Amino acid sequence: MPIPEINNWEHFRDDDIMLRHSAIQAEEAMKVPFIGDKARKPLILIVLEPISSLAVEYQLGSPILLEKIKVLAAQFTAIRRTRGDGNCFFRSFMFAYLDHILESQDRPEVDRITVNVEQCRKTLLSLGHAEFTFEDCFALFLEQLESVVPRCEIPISHDELVERSRDQSTSDYVVMFFRFITSGEIRKRSEFYEPFIHGLTNMSVEQFCKSSVEPMGEESDHVHITALSDALGIPIRIVYLDRSCDDKGHVSVNHHDFSPLATDSTKANACCSEAHKPFITLLYRPGHYDILYPK
Amino acid sequence: MVDFARVQKELQECNRDFEVSGIRVVPKSEANLAHLLGTIPGPLGTPYEGGTFKIDINLTDGYPFEPPKMKFVTKVWHPNISSQSGAICLDILKDQWSPALTLKTALLSIQALLSAPEPDDPQDAVVAQQYLREHHTFLGTARYWTEAFAMTSSLDVEEKVKKLVEMGFPETLVRSALDSVGGDENLALEKLCSG
Repeated sequence: MPIPEINNWEHFRDDDIMLRHSAIQAEEAMKVPFIGDKARKPLILIVLEPISSLAVEYQLGSPILLEKIKVLAAQFTAIRRTRGDGNCFFRSFMFAYLDHILESQDRPEVDRITVNVEQCRKTLLSLGHAEFTFEDCFALFLEQLESVVPRCEIPISHDELVERSRDQSTSDYVVMFFRFITSGEIRKRSEFYEPFIHGLTNMSVEQFCKSSVEPMGEESDHVHITALSDALGIPIRIVYLDRSCDDKGHVSVNHHDFSPLATDSTKANACCSEAHKPFITLLYRPGHYDILYPK
Repeated sequence: MVDFARVQKELQECNRDFEVSGIRVVPKSEANLAHLLGTIPGPLGTPYEGGTFKIDINLTDGYPFEPPKMKFVTKVWHPNISSQSGAICLDILKDQWSPALTLKTALLSIQALLSAPEPDDPQDAVVAQQYLREHHTFLGTARYWTEAFAMTSSLDVEEKVKKLVEMGFPETLVRSALDSVGGDENLALEKLCSG
């Protein structure tokens, strides 16, 4: 949508400002489709290609970043970019998870997560959410899950998954599904999350969920990732690309693994690290998440 | 496309506990669920007490991913509501909207806004100035506007009485006729003619 020129500010009202604001946002966001094409090119180009645009961005800033990009190149084959619209963590997570299930055809994992999803449904109901607000989001997520590992038909193709994940409506409903799950988990375990939230924002747990989790486009932080990982029982690895380095100027790329709490079903083999080995790896640059594909 | 199945469920849920909340949402016409009319009672202990406030609701195609467009139809004197257009300054109707919210929770938030104005983030600068500098005058004006515009049902009755009296019926008969048919002007007229 082209942004109209404003000639008359006198009659410019709140609604117009909102419209204009969202038009600008939409225009920015459209520059990258929701889920980018995984670059299928020789290794060094793959990781450098997306970063090359970044390198331009940071050109005057930091040689550390360029060093770190080399380190990344040794560990990962590709990066899949997601749109920077504030939903990038959830969208990256959605695609990385469904893509993993499609590749692995891991039916036990699907059965396991389905149990957790049902638990989350009960949590939301007990927290007083009206079922009609979240039932469509739940149904759509379960539908996507079923389509990548159907019980009797053939799974959808990889291209079809990419197509679906790019569809604004489907993608938004699934993002909202994760926002519901995250909000429900934080409120369910509010005593645990309260100190973190308080340290971050000065808000109550309730306010935090209402203003920073449930609205679309609100960016995700450690609290969101921890809650989503716990609620669904999915470990997540976040790799950080920032300007940090040690005293001697040596660079290393840090990562953090979010390991879900042991639930009853996993307690028995909680010591088994296999269950907690992350199969989702996201790249974090301040303010944005993309998907990384390990070698 | 507006998610009409959801809107249907919202209307049912909202109107089910009307007795408790006093909040109602009805379609402006059965044919189009994208245009609705909400009503909220003025909160007790505020200058809006006793008033019934009508709110025009428009749902865009993106609903529930985009906020419902809401504005006051009933004129109201409040720092965060335009005294001219009825536009409402409230975060959940803008960037803090979430599909987790509903028309009812949005109307409840508007009701809460009536109880707790935020003059530092005004929609109507004139009202906000008055709220901050001449609070007593503000309360008086808000109360007057409530009585003049949000309690129209009693004014309506007087209007109907006047009309029917002008047709030549005695006032006492007119009043009892209107009473007996629940205030419907046409039914009252029939009753008066047949009586």
